[in-house]
Amino acid sequence: MEDMIQMDRAMSTEQDIKISANGVQVYYGENHAIKDVNVEIQDKMVTAFIGPSGCGKSTFLRCINRMNDTIDICRVEGDIRIDGEDIYDARVDPVQLRAKVGMVFQKPNPFPKSIYDNVAYGPKIHGLARNKAELDEIVEKALRRGAIWDEVKDRLHAPGTGLSGGQQQRLCIARAVATEPEVLLMDEPCSALDPIATAQVEELIDELRQNYSVVIVTHSMQQAARVSQRTAFFHLGNLVEFGDTDKIFTNPEDPRTESYISGRIG
Amino acid sequence: MTDATQGGPIRTKGKSILELDTRTKKRNAAEARFKGYGIAAICVSLFFLVSLLVTIVSNGVPAFTQTFVNLSVTLDEAKLDKNGNRNIDEIKKVSTFGYKPLINAALVSATDGIETELTDKDLDKILSASAGAVVRDHVIANPDMIGETVEFRLLTSSRVDGYMKGRVVREDLARDKNLDAAHLDLIDVMAERGAVQRTFNWDFIFGSDASESRPEQAGIGVSMLGSFFMMLVVLALALPIGVAASIYLEEFAPQNRFTDLIEVNISNLAAVPSIVFGILGLAVFIQFAHLPQSAPIVGGLTLTLMTLPTIVISTRASLKAVPPSIRDAALGVGASKMQAVFHHVLPLAMPGILTGTIIGLAQALGETAPLLLIGMVGYIATNYPEGVTSGFLDPNSAMPAQIYEWAKRADPAFYERAWGGIIVLLLFLLTMNLIAIILRRRFERRW
Ligand SMILES: Nc1ncnc2c1ncn2[C@@H]1O[C@H](COP(=O)(O)OP(=O)(O)O)[C@@H](O)[C@H]1O
Ligand SMILES: [Mg+2]
Repeated sequence: MEDMIQMDRAMSTEQDIKISANGVQVYYGENHAIKDVNVEIQDKMVTAFIGPSGCGKSTFLRCINRMNDTIDICRVEGDIRIDGEDIYDARVDPVQLRAKVGMVFQKPNPFPKSIYDNVAYGPKIHGLARNKAELDEIVEKALRRGAIWDEVKDRLHAPGTGLSGGQQQRLCIARAVATEPEVLLMDEPCSALDPIATAQVEELIDELRQNYSVVIVTHSMQQAARVSQRTAFFHLGNLVEFGDTDKIFTNPEDPRTESYISGRIG
Repeated sequence: MTDATQGGPIRTKGKSILELDTRTKKRNAAEARFKGYGIAAICVSLFFLVSLLVTIVSNGVPAFTQTFVNLSVTLDEAKLDKNGNRNIDEIKKVSTFGYKPLINAALVSATDGIETELTDKDLDKILSASAGAVVRDHVIANPDMIGETVEFRLLTSSRVDGYMKGRVVREDLARDKNLDAAHLDLIDVMAERGAVQRTFNWDFIFGSDASESRPEQAGIGVSMLGSFFMMLVVLALALPIGVAASIYLEEFAPQNRFTDLIEVNISNLAAVPSIVFGILGLAVFIQFAHLPQSAPIVGGLTLTLMTLPTIVISTRASLKAVPPSIRDAALGVGASKMQAVFHHVLPLAMPGILTGTIIGLAQALGETAPLLLIGMVGYIATNYPEGVTSGFLDPNSAMPAQIYEWAKRADPAFYERAWGGIIVLLLFLLTMNLIAIILRRRFERRW
């Protein structure tokens, strides 16, 4: 029954556009890293960014939650909207934006604090909990969403850095979802993980799709094929091709895409 | 492509790994030689360290003991309080000179029965010049004891003390008008009787400096307080300013020419000779701001200037050592830059910051040169500062300055005290380093 409703909702929102980017240019000093990218990312879907190393996948991803602001020499032009609101508008505080657009990094980076504190930190600074009980609830919910609750529920106060790599990454995902974001950005979240941990995280990403709009950067085409519904192929700072994952992998339009997925560039 | 892949069983037999070839032998020899150099270097530095420690301890330890005479002095009413009305103002009129006959009389009775060529008047050369003042202070504090006979523990003169410590021998006294060999014969007997004793001297640790003619009375206590007040100033100013500056430069400031310039200059400042900071302190704090000369506040401010670069450099280094992924993680969950720094980066950098601060403080504690220029080296006759304000504002010295001052004086008794002062100073530095290690252990976190 509940599944039905969820299915229903997924269907009805399938065409909702969560993020739209128009004419995005990114410069690192003189280096033109992203060249006129236009892309529309849908809600409740996993969008994968693929492309050879150095093509600007991470750079573009970091534009979406304005993490590039922290790099002095980085300059972003163009227009990126989330739910129709320009995130580079002068009135937007990037801090508020980042609560709404969570991020998971390539290398698992838990804080050197307890598992509980790792997850509770975001909700605490955003004032999402009024008391300890509420905070406990939020932490549990986030850890469940991160598919790690069963493994850590008995040692919430052990250091997060003592977990295995895969567990750490799921902890980071739990930490990202704890602030109730609407979009989750993941920059090669499995590249530091072994195949079993990768499979667990991929499974998790598939579940997260029900609640969030997920954007994942990956260097693995198989991974893109496994977890994403839409795929964007970047090459030398250009968005070469963007469309349904099935189509990109079976019947790409651009010769560059074709040579990349058949292993000729990369 | 190669022979092997073409399939034949051709496998040329290489050299046996059981015998060393010449290259390997050479490499092993080089490695062994390098290890030898390293061990030799460590041995040399250990030798220097040990000889340094042995010299300091053997020269300095005698300063912690002092020779005293137990003397029963009769507080003669006729001499101290002629009118017999115990009026404190009248008692105060009797100067230390007026106590001389009493002490002399006490000495005469103490040496009763000992053969000596010395005249009675000459006996008091075995005592420190401070003896009269000690008795007088006691009388002024307890006027009702006038008329009684009181047991005093009086300092001997530095020559007698040196004799008890083996520093002074009879031959030395031939040209010395302060003491005769006959006095030493007297001392030998008195020591046998137990009237002359060498005991631990707390006054060396807690007392104040004394004039050049009374080395036996000098102590390092007051300059220790001077150092303490200066360290308070340094800690209160250099730590917050240094840490704030480093956090701003490291985490917030844009990377441009201007910040580069600041960065280079801070590194340069760390290498500026400390005497330059002294002359700057003189010009700015004393001549321009008219702060009192020789005051720990000025010393503290000057040392703050000197310590700041050290703290800034070590703080920046420890901030740099925090992995950027921690900042990303914090910013990624929507922490502001300041929250990221104060909640995550700073706690991780804390051990390094504290270590740097303590090392900076230790450096400041041992610094003498800048104090020369702001008048904190010299004979400071004051006793303990009265209250906190006077601690900061009254003229004082500092431990290293006091040591320098003693080393400069002619009397070998002061030389001994300089070594003793060095022991005290080193103990302080050792304690500070220990604190740094403990703090680092406590705050250290692994990830
Ligand atoms: N912090 C940075 N400073 C300067 N140049 C950068 C920075 N990050 C990335 N770049 C440059 O931007 C381009 C795209 O990099 P990136 O987005 O990391 O590629 P990808 O994630 O696809 O491997 C590269 O040429 C890289 O050198
Ligand atoms: Mg990347």
